[in-house]
Amino acid sequence: MKTKYLIGLSIIISNLSFSSVKAQSGAPYIHDPSTLAECDGKWYTFGTGGGGIISADGWNWNSGADRPGGGAAPDMLKIGDRYLCIYGATGGGLGGGHAGRILTMWNKTLDPKSPDFKWSEAVEVCFSDGMEDQDAIDPGLLLDPTTGRLWASYGTYFGTIRLIELDPKTGFRVKGNKEKDIAIDCEATDLIYRDGWYYLLGTHGTCCDGVNSTYNIVVGRSRKVTGPYLDNVGRDMYHGGGKMVIAAGDRVCGPGHFGRTIIDEGVEIMSCHYEADFDQGGSSVLGIRPLLWKNDWPYAGDRFKEGTYEIESERRGYSLELAVDFVRLNVPRRGGFGRPANDTPVVPVANQKLEDVISTWPSGEIPARIGDYMFRPHQKWTITAVPEAGGYLSNPYFKITIEGTNRALSATANTEVTTVPEFTGADEQLWRIEQLIDGTFRIMPKAIPGRQGINTKYCLYSIGDSTPTLAEYDFKSDNSKWNFRAH
Amino acid sequence: MLLLALNSTAQNPVVRDQFSADPTARVFNGKVYLYPSHDIVPPQGARQDWFCMEDYHVFSSENLTDWKDHGVIVTQNKVPWVRLDSYSMWAPDCVEKNGKYYFYFPSAPQAGGGFAVGVAIADSPEGPFVPEPEPIKGINGIDPCVLQASDGNAYIFWGNGRCAKLKPNMKELADDNPKETVKWGEREFEMTGVNCLKDLPNRQAEGPFAFEYNGNYYLTYPYVREKTEVIGYAMSKNPMGPYEYKGIIMAEHANGCWTNHHSIVNYKGQWYFFYHHNDFSPSDDKRRSVCIEKLTFNADGTIQEIKPTMRGVGINKATEKIEIDRYSSASANVTTELIDTINTFRSYQATLPTKGSWLRYNDVDFSVLNNSYVIISAKASDNTELYIREKAPNGKVIGKAKMTVKPETPQGAGQAPSMFRREMTNQWLTLTVPLEYTPKGVTDLVITNEGNGSASVDWVQFKNRPKYFSPVTTPSAQPDDEGFIRRWMLLEPIDKPNRGNTVFTDTYLREHFNMEYFKGQQTIVPKDGQKVKVSFQREEVPAGFGRGPQQQEPAKPVIKTVNQTLTWHALDSENMNVKLFRFAEKWGQQVYGVLFWAVTIIDCDEDIEDVRLAVGSNSASMWWLNGEEVLLLSGDRRMVKDDAMSPRLTLKKGRNILRGAIINGPGMSDFCVRFIDEKGNPVKNYSIKAQ
Repeated sequence: MKTKYLIGLSIIISNLSFSSVKAQSGAPYIHDPSTLAECDGKWYTFGTGGGGIISADGWNWNSGADRPGGGAAPDMLKIGDRYLCIYGATGGGLGGGHAGRILTMWNKTLDPKSPDFKWSEAVEVCFSDGMEDQDAIDPGLLLDPTTGRLWASYGTYFGTIRLIELDPKTGFRVKGNKEKDIAIDCEATDLIYRDGWYYLLGTHGTCCDGVNSTYNIVVGRSRKVTGPYLDNVGRDMYHGGGKMVIAAGDRVCGPGHFGRTIIDEGVEIMSCHYEADFDQGGSSVLGIRPLLWKNDWPYAGDRFKEGTYEIESERRGYSLELAVDFVRLNVPRRGGFGRPANDTPVVPVANQKLEDVISTWPSGEIPARIGDYMFRPHQKWTITAVPEAGGYLSNPYFKITIEGTNRALSATANTEVTTVPEFTGADEQLWRIEQLIDGTFRIMPKAIPGRQGINTKYCLYSIGDSTPTLAEYDFKSDNSKWNFRAH
Repeated sequence: MLLLALNSTAQNPVVRDQFSADPTARVFNGKVYLYPSHDIVPPQGARQDWFCMEDYHVFSSENLTDWKDHGVIVTQNKVPWVRLDSYSMWAPDCVEKNGKYYFYFPSAPQAGGGFAVGVAIADSPEGPFVPEPEPIKGINGIDPCVLQASDGNAYIFWGNGRCAKLKPNMKELADDNPKETVKWGEREFEMTGVNCLKDLPNRQAEGPFAFEYNGNYYLTYPYVREKTEVIGYAMSKNPMGPYEYKGIIMAEHANGCWTNHHSIVNYKGQWYFFYHHNDFSPSDDKRRSVCIEKLTFNADGTIQEIKPTMRGVGINKATEKIEIDRYSSASANVTTELIDTINTFRSYQATLPTKGSWLRYNDVDFSVLNNSYVIISAKASDNTELYIREKAPNGKVIGKAKMTVKPETPQGAGQAPSMFRREMTNQWLTLTVPLEYTPKGVTDLVITNEGNGSASVDWVQFKNRPKYFSPVTTPSAQPDDEGFIRRWMLLEPIDKPNRGNTVFTDTYLREHFNMEYFKGQQTIVPKDGQKVKVSFQREEVPAGFGRGPQQQEPAKPVIKTVNQTLTWHALDSENMNVKLFRFAEKWGQQVYGVLFWAVTIIDCDEDIEDVRLAVGSNSASMWWLNGEEVLLLSGDRRMVKDDAMSPRLTLKKGRNILRGAIINGPGMSDFCVRFIDEKGNPVKNYSIKAQ
């Protein structure tokens, strides 16, 4: 019994330093990151000036990617079994004027150590002549899933954002294709498609001024890839319209250069750079945020914040709890059905405390259950990042422990969930938490005892209103979804 | 693919995004229609070293320079009688009769036995063509050509020069055609029609093309004179001969391309010769491309021999992308080669190896130019300079393209960061060149190499600059459809670099918009051309905006007195947004580090109450209505429609003066202004005057 109290205290102290983890770990220094590309199980993104960063797990990023050609703001897209890189060879006014060139090139692999790593000769697909209201840099690619046609948007706030069509087989400009102006006031645009809508994401504001950079990402949408791209009040992006997707906040500022990555059905992230991460001395770093959708508009979710939460099932609204006895609070009922006795003073009722109930809990494994939330200690879960365990695109792995204890949620070999009295750092006690496009979360154990490798399939699942289990993630089922509620 | 519409221009070859061979050109409805066969790279399983053709496209042009691809009209596996995947859709023809278009094509029949010729019929020269279920009975061979003779009959020629009369239905051979027995080795065949080339030079003759001109019938045809094909011709007074051999129209291809195949057409009074050559497939002469030259008759009806050119035919508008590598003439040391020997459709480059090298491209129409510049696509082995000239290697200089391809040593803080300062040796660059001189009418374009590096060129294109403003010529204007005010008096930009921070604070803006730059700045209703004297004390600050590292405050501010004499211009904006950047470019000393004043007059027939001034501006701006400040746009601004709104205002009956001051920011300074009503709809019931 004594040891339990001690453990409880130490955890309470660590809870004082609740924070969110704002950016990827390692050395994720980049400006204008290309849409994340996966190659042989690793993630890659490429930035302005050449080079790029690599991550084995999506969380820990380091330099090492290789892109020749210099210039500004590339994008990368896997087409078939090859990667198409598109980039601006010029500097958007920095290289002397606004005569810009956009080029494409191919590679079979993104891994510079691979024997197949060889960029094809870069081919110019469009240019701005320096006299036009246009600056050909900052290209973004879209392979239209409905037609198989390949499009690129490009340009800066020096004039217009333009759309061109490329040949997905060669990366060359489609012969005879004429460019179309689709927006103004943007830089670092990207096109995406979802459910019958084309979206143009553009970076508004001003870059390259460190902690004073005002970059932010806005969106307009269209039923046709050629536009017009209208914002939520019907204003054309060609007239400066745009609805905010992500702005500054949470000690990062200047998000720019959108990229969308679909991890699973209903699980999406957006990549960008922050002009300045205040916690990393104001460096420009890679940012990855959940990408959420509301009324067919995309917006960035927040980074998951460590803290103590109710873990509420989307299925019924019950919450995850320890399967322990309900302990009544010994507070006399005041008055009859809400009416207080005449002259007794009103005294607040204290919350039930861990120490009031913990002695009633078994000391070994305690099964997990789902029940109606009464803000009792057996229902309060502290979510804490475990940085040494690595991560995935959205977050580091977390441990999920009962507040004030080291009792940790754990996957079991028979694909169920339980709690173990001591968090040991074992993979089955590490949890992957990802926000879904509807704002709910999925919660997955890093590994399931007896199963090979990292788990990307089974999630915490309401098999009954009151019964949790691990089952295959299914976005269409509320059984897969949870909410973290701070009370 | 049927709706595919692509344009290519002049120069040989004329189709530059796919192979095209065996061209038959016909004039229908005032346009030239081109029916080539369509070489492709053999798919797996097909014979790799042989001709491979699965379908036909049709192209059309009104000027022989712009060719439109109307897509596939007939494809092998949709023709009932053609053997599946036989890839033998060889040289076709197409003629019109009574509003129907008859497309004749050879292919390998399912029944076997060499080639047959089928017909597909359409109501339009572009199709859709419906193939007849069976090939024409009595024709065993390739390369049909139909002659609609002035005797009222149609004759079909095919193979090695055989000719037979068609029935009026154009789908069958006439019953009265002569027949003859032909011996091939041990076997005997009965052939319909007559062999018009029987006693003429006819070794491996094929691809007959017959036409009638000036009372003569011409039978023109490829045959092998020595080792590869030439185009020869014979003349007769009768469609079915006998023909008399007259000579060569085009000699063997210099590069050894074995085949040639042609047609001859008169368009708008000029005769043209269509033929093919393996330009985009130099190592495989089974993939060919259509070219065009002019054809000339002698007085006696004979035809002058034609030399193939790269330039081809047609007059290029200067605003087209002109493939100058397909030049008409050049200095002896100029060479041409494919830009990319694998992706050959990237076409050619011409290399001007030394100082003094030149090339000439004839017949460019400059009358389309107005306020122009020129783009040239070129690469160089070392720093050099290309001159674009008129007519001759020493002709008047149109523009000078400086090619600095070696990275220069950086100098000072204003230089580009190293990642943008790159070695550009032997890289294709699109260079923008201002014009020193604009030729008139149709003349020849000449490129000369004036420097020591070797330079290669791909294309040039002249561009007209967009019109941003027009001078005011009417007494009053209306708001546009969306209510935007496009008529303004604009003052030439005041030389006023601003603090380098892009986020303009209200305090800074109030101070700098409200200080006096010129007398009467808050009361003047200027006239077009009126000058004002600007004089003010300016704190020297770096003008850097947004990008780059050079944005720091100077250690000690330096105060300078600015004196300028500036002119007001009464202008109508071509766009909803008034492009101050372009105004400054044309009428100012600089485009950045400037302050603009704008004034306009709004005349109302009655009071218009509860309207708001809606403004978007790049960058910050301040607006006064009838002398009252009504709106300030501060911070980091871009021109966004309806970005900021004034409180509710009244536009009073009679004359209202709207005044604005705009400070430039990153990008291109501009603004858009309108009034909107309580419901957000544009207010338009007033007129706008410049004075």
